[in-house]
Amino acid sequence: MTLSGDGTITGLAAGGLPNATVVQADLATGVAGNGPAFSAYLGSNQSPTNATYTKVQINTESFDTASCFDTSLYRFTPNVAGYYQVQAACRISSTAPSTYVWAIYKNGSNIAELNVATTPASFDNRVIASLISMNGTTDYLEFYCYCSAASGQTFNAGAATTYFQAFLARAA
Amino acid sequence: MTLYDKILTIYPQLQQQDFYTVITLQNDSDGRGDYIAKWDHPTLPRPTEDQLNAA
Repeated sequence: MTLSGDGTITGLAAGGLPNATVVQADLATGVAGNGPAFSAYLGSNQSPTNATYTKVQINTESFDTASCFDTSLYRFTPNVAGYYQVQAACRISSTAPSTYVWAIYKNGSNIAELNVATTPASFDNRVIASLISMNGTTDYLEFYCYCSAASGQTFNAGAATTYFQAFLARAA
Repeated sequence: MTLYDKILTIYPQLQQQDFYTVITLQNDSDGRGDYIAKWDHPTLPRPTEDQLNAA
């Protein structure tokens, strides 16, 4: 490896510099990290029980850079500690007036929630977002939704309508 | 009959908003079905398994 006087580094081995030798202050403006990022969506319509917080079955990946999203458990477990920008959307529909809730769960507990009442029967699609600290080993995130109506309640599938995304915004 | 319906049978005085404030019914999409994840109702006790089975 050679470090030139102008700050250029050449001859790096595969994998680049070890994490411990690079801190945020070393990065120039406009240099983005390559931490975990994923986007996945609901592949087919889901019919939840009414008035029940139900995990959205996010089972189809658009991308998953570090293989941290589990399409069987519908769960994101990032392998780098830090602060993650998380967003999720679900188009919820029902054939009766209802209250809809979108919620992000961390380690099985609801930590961010959006709550909307619809009258008359309709559908609604909202995005919930949060910045969440993750330990990079055991912490995990899931997406739940709630529909109070007992008639025609559905989570509508599609990459553009019902998705779950996150990326590392800042390392710990 | 869903868990929600059973609880309403036991406690018909419950309001819809109780189920996203003081009571949380949950389904983890793991095949194990609905369950009571939180019961913080200020006056009504959490229903027992016997009550739910009888409802």
